Amino acid sequence: MAFLEAIDKDLIKVPMTARNGKEAVEELVALYGSKNGLLPSETNEIVSAIMERERLGSTAMENGIAIPHAKIEGLKNASVMIGISRLGIDFGGSDASSIFFLVLAPAENPAEHIQILSSIAKVCSSDLFVRMLRSSKTKDDVYQLFFE
Amino acid sequence: MMGKTPYSRILVYLDGSEGSMTAAMYAILLASASKAKLHAVYVVNTKALGDLVRSRIFVDQEKNEFLEDLKKDAGRHIRHTERLAASKDVEITASALEGSPHKEIISYIKSNKIDLLVLGQVNAIRSRRDELTSENDRMLRTSPCPVVVVRDTDDSIWQQFEEV
Repeated sequence: MAFLEAIDKDLIKVPMTARNGKEAVEELVALYGSKNGLLPSETNEIVSAIMERERLGSTAMENGIAIPHAKIEGLKNASVMIGISRLGIDFGGSDASSIFFLVLAPAENPAEHIQILSSIAKVCSSDLFVRMLRSSKTKDDVYQLFFE
Repeated sequence: MMGKTPYSRILVYLDGSEGSMTAAMYAILLASASKAKLHAVYVVNTKALGDLVRSRIFVDQEKNEFLEDLKKDAGRHIRHTERLAASKDVEITASALEGSPHKEIISYIKSNKIDLLVLGQVNAIRSRRDELTSENDRMLRTSPCPVVVVRDTDDSIWQQFEEV
């Protein structure tokens, strides 16, 4: 599964309301839990896996983008949640993060995980694209940017 | 030309997906029917791993873990492909390489005089952004030899494989 196939309009949040890093992860994972009918304990496990990964080192990049991610045992397909924060959120980077890509990928398919992260990194290397993403006002705007 | 197939060395690219395993089965059927030599290559994408560390998405420890995971994945898929080929009495040369997948595959095609590349499914074109082009798409576009794209939704390949 490629990056674009992992994007789902129901998994995009604009604007995010989280005030800190943990809330940002919880807000985005909640979208996934709601879409997939997960139990609160299951969403909590995912949040824990992501926060555990963040403790190794923040995934906040220099351009206000954060890409928290985790490999999840038994996951059938990879998913990407996208969130845009108006105020910016401290996610451990030098600047506040205003764009979040939260990636959940099956532990059994590391190649897919790498491919999705790599695609996000490539697309975020375009300053113009990042500016357009940051100024998106709705989830439709965000979705449209990827599928233009 | 009667009775002679236009290819004698087939390469199937393995990427750890279900689609690439269907492609491997199809490549084995092609090699068996045409008496071509079969090659299978998995490329551990160390280029992407390095890029992810440089962009701070990966820390070194995580990169090393993923490198190990990818090597194990390569071994698993190569062994499985070798078993599938053996079950049809097809000789196979299978290997794991490291680097940028499309570059390694194109280089392998040239240095081993491959004349047919078999790929798993390529993505539907859903974006015009070049950055989102997949490795399979790049191979399809830049391969110096003919390419067969195998749809992983095609159950008939599994059925054919069982029947032959």
